[in-house]
Amino acid sequence: MSSSRSPGSLIAKLNELNWLLPVLIMMVGAIGVVAIYSATGGKWNSGASQHLTRLMLGVIFMLAIAMTDIRVWFAIAYPGFIFALALLIGVEFFGVTVNGAQRWLDLGVMRIQPSELMKLAAVLALARFYHDLPVWRVSKPVGMLGALFIIMAPLFLILNQPDLGTGIMLAVTGVTMMFLAGINWRVITSSSILAVIAIPLFFMYGLKDYQRARILTFLDPAHDPTGASYHIIQSKIALGSGGVSGKGFMEGTQASLKYVPENRTDFIFTVIGEEFGLIGGLSTMILYILIISVCFWLASQVKQAFSHLLILGLTMTFALYVLINLAMIMGLAPVVGVPLPLISYGGTVMMTVLAGFGMILSAHIHRDVELPRGSGLLL
Amino acid sequence: MSTQDDNTHTITRRSALLGIGGLGAFSVLAARLYYLQVVRAEDYKVLSDKNRFNFNTVLPERGQILDRNGVALATNKQDFRLVLVPERVSDVDRTLERINSILPLAQSTRRRIKRDIKSKAKFIPVLVGEQIDWPIFSRLNINMPDLPGVIPIEGKARNYPHHGTFAHVLGYVGKPNPEALKEDKDTLLRQPTFRMGKTGIEQSYDKVLRGKAGRKKIEVNAIGRTVREWDDDKIPAAAGTDVWLTIDSKLQSYAAELFQEESGGVAVMDIETGELRTLLSMPTFDNNLFVSGLSNAQFKELDTDPRRPQFNKVMGGGYPPASTFKMAVMLAALANNVVDPEDKIFCTGKTFIGNRDFHCWKRKGHGLVNMHEALKQSCDVYFYEIIQRLGMNKVKVFAEKLGLGQVFSLGLGGQIRGIVPDAQWKRDRLGTGWRTGDSLNAAIGQGFVLATPLQLTVMAARLANGTSAVSPLLVVGDEIAKAPPLDINPAHMAIVQNAMRAVCEEPGGTAYMPGGLGLSGIELAGKTGTGQVRGISVAERLSGVRDNKELPWKLRDHSVFVGYAPFENPRFAAGVLVEHGGSGAKLAANICRKILAKALMRDGIGPEENVVGEN
Repeated sequence: MSSSRSPGSLIAKLNELNWLLPVLIMMVGAIGVVAIYSATGGKWNSGASQHLTRLMLGVIFMLAIAMTDIRVWFAIAYPGFIFALALLIGVEFFGVTVNGAQRWLDLGVMRIQPSELMKLAAVLALARFYHDLPVWRVSKPVGMLGALFIIMAPLFLILNQPDLGTGIMLAVTGVTMMFLAGINWRVITSSSILAVIAIPLFFMYGLKDYQRARILTFLDPAHDPTGASYHIIQSKIALGSGGVSGKGFMEGTQASLKYVPENRTDFIFTVIGEEFGLIGGLSTMILYILIISVCFWLASQVKQAFSHLLILGLTMTFALYVLINLAMIMGLAPVVGVPLPLISYGGTVMMTVLAGFGMILSAHIHRDVELPRGSGLLL
Repeated sequence: MSTQDDNTHTITRRSALLGIGGLGAFSVLAARLYYLQVVRAEDYKVLSDKNRFNFNTVLPERGQILDRNGVALATNKQDFRLVLVPERVSDVDRTLERINSILPLAQSTRRRIKRDIKSKAKFIPVLVGEQIDWPIFSRLNINMPDLPGVIPIEGKARNYPHHGTFAHVLGYVGKPNPEALKEDKDTLLRQPTFRMGKTGIEQSYDKVLRGKAGRKKIEVNAIGRTVREWDDDKIPAAAGTDVWLTIDSKLQSYAAELFQEESGGVAVMDIETGELRTLLSMPTFDNNLFVSGLSNAQFKELDTDPRRPQFNKVMGGGYPPASTFKMAVMLAALANNVVDPEDKIFCTGKTFIGNRDFHCWKRKGHGLVNMHEALKQSCDVYFYEIIQRLGMNKVKVFAEKLGLGQVFSLGLGGQIRGIVPDAQWKRDRLGTGWRTGDSLNAAIGQGFVLATPLQLTVMAARLANGTSAVSPLLVVGDEIAKAPPLDINPAHMAIVQNAMRAVCEEPGGTAYMPGGLGLSGIELAGKTGTGQVRGISVAERLSGVRDNKELPWKLRDHSVFVGYAPFENPRFAAGVLVEHGGSGAKLAANICRKILAKALMRDGIGPEENVVGEN
């Protein structure tokens, strides 16, 4: 097998690039610029311009990653995971506490959030793990324990920060990848039963008080209308009062009068729903579905298990951002602090998501590159 | 190779399942969005508006209280206030220091300001000072550029321009107390700057004066800041209605001057209509102090003054009517035919009843006196004699006919009934039987008998009127039942009226003063009273009753006088009580004489130039 099918020149790579995905990404990002502009009371410099800059830089960053040979990502899968795990341990000891959660690592010039890096690193490591693992071993103890280690080690550290949202995303993405890799149905059934037993126990003993309160509030929002459930009630009012066609751009009263908290970040969708109504909300959702669909299509084009799992794992991560955020805003899930990717204000998530799309595009561009098997840490 | 294919096959198969699951999840979200934005849209629109709009109460201007001539007794004056918006002040201490150089701020005020800043949202203005003098306020205005975040405000505050002369009638306004908030659901009471009537007319006519709250629609954000005002759904505040009093402010101010430093009460009443031209309790207090809030020192001063400035003596103080009670005894005697007016009774200066002497005020006695002379000279022994023939019950009937022992519907709280005693009353109150001595004391308005200066005024008015039981009226427009007939024989009334004239106009009368009212051709009728506040022991009588001037103020006699004028075609009646003022013939009579003269002059009776001159 040769690697001659790999597009060599930059021109050749650009030729292979799927242009639909970057276009859709920029469309969603543009919605973000408009929504942030409105949420900040029509001020260009309170987030909207920064968002646009980040989007532009992020797309360039994404394209740079897309141009990078898939073998680079293949090679750094494990070292990258170990590096990210080390940073997470570092956060445990040297982290900066913001809003009661220790998530940041201050590197002097910049602050980074290792849990975001881990979202990519864990997917890379799992893709690499299953790439190397023969199918017959997937449901065997070695396969199970290996995959579970890649998921559980960072999960433990992330839940300890505490960051329930990232933890859920990591766990669900990891389990999804295990499922995709071919865990047999008997294991799936028995572990589902186990999960049904384990989740209440986790709820009782594995969560911080405020996390438990958020979940209880979610189950009964009227319980505490000005406290924890205030977010949910106000965001439902914002969405609901928008109606079919919305109150109009910059006319959202819930947003401009600051009834919806954090409406520039996690609750940005309420601005879209209030000002552009069902039409705006559904259009945004359709764009997300299109992005995810394109990713699925790209996944179907690749031949290597690593690339295939990498694309689906990263897509899963992205889809989870969207699903958890929207479910949270519509009052279908507890408030766990997951932003709406590409639309919410915030640089770290933008970079994580665009780096992920870069890898997806890279995996697709280099879809014909043969990747060696069995050269990983585990046979 | 085959395993690789197996891998990708599995992944492809299972990713299809995943895709279906994902679509399912998005469908649920889309359905949810449809439910929120279409099915429930109307509910949420209502909730959104509820969030967004607030109605702010607009305070109405409080009605004024005016005297009979439209002179404002209670009004609303421009109040210059200074507020500070904490979020716009960078350094509170320095700002307060700057203000202090223009408007002195006490340490306690500064502490209160800082407390208010802490307890409220940063955009809510905190009061720095109110009722600031115009010169200081204008200097503050000039210095505004150096005081960012400090705002001068012109508001309305209750003001009593006469500072005290009408304090007991008007009362004052203050912040509603918790009981008022519980009883009265008017939103106005919940407004921080609203003041409600606490006493006097301010209290009893509060609902009239207060007006109706207006509202304005404002858009507020989540932390309560007003974003803008909306013109729709606006209701302007309805100002309170003015209340007109029957009081003549000039006359009342004159009465206050007459009292000088003395303590007591005076009322002047129209004998036909019952309109009170004066209703004054002295000394008074500045009711403006209660609007802005009294300092501890000011409160202590008011509270420890032995003359009790806050006490409304004219209708809330019960005093022995003393000899002014004798007219009731006379009328009872005539009606019951127990004495012929011309029959003479010999006064030795005392009457021995039971086991003690009852003295006449004149130690040597009056000798032989008939009814006319008895009242004119205020002979006590004469009345000791006739009350024994009458009994207390018959006297009580006439005392009550004349207005004692009852409260009047004045639209003003704080009246007491006073006491017109009888055997039943004494049994109920003291548990002992009525004794002749009690009647004797009552005959000269001492002992258990108590009346307010207002009741004495009503008595004088009814005696002057002669035919109808006129009642006092304070508020113009108050529906008052037509005065019922007095039901006293006019012939008897004439005897009493003539005797009252003699008291003032005939030599030998206890209140005779050459020149009288000082209005040519106008005569005064009246009666003096000297209310004893202490028992005089036998030993003291033997060694000579001490002169009032030698006694401590608290033990001196009350000086009482009731009168009306003109004797022919009477217009006004007055009752005066000067606490510990000594003999009724002196202080009280003088005040009464002057105030009745003034009332007549102001009414156009008497020398015209005087009216003009004193206006």
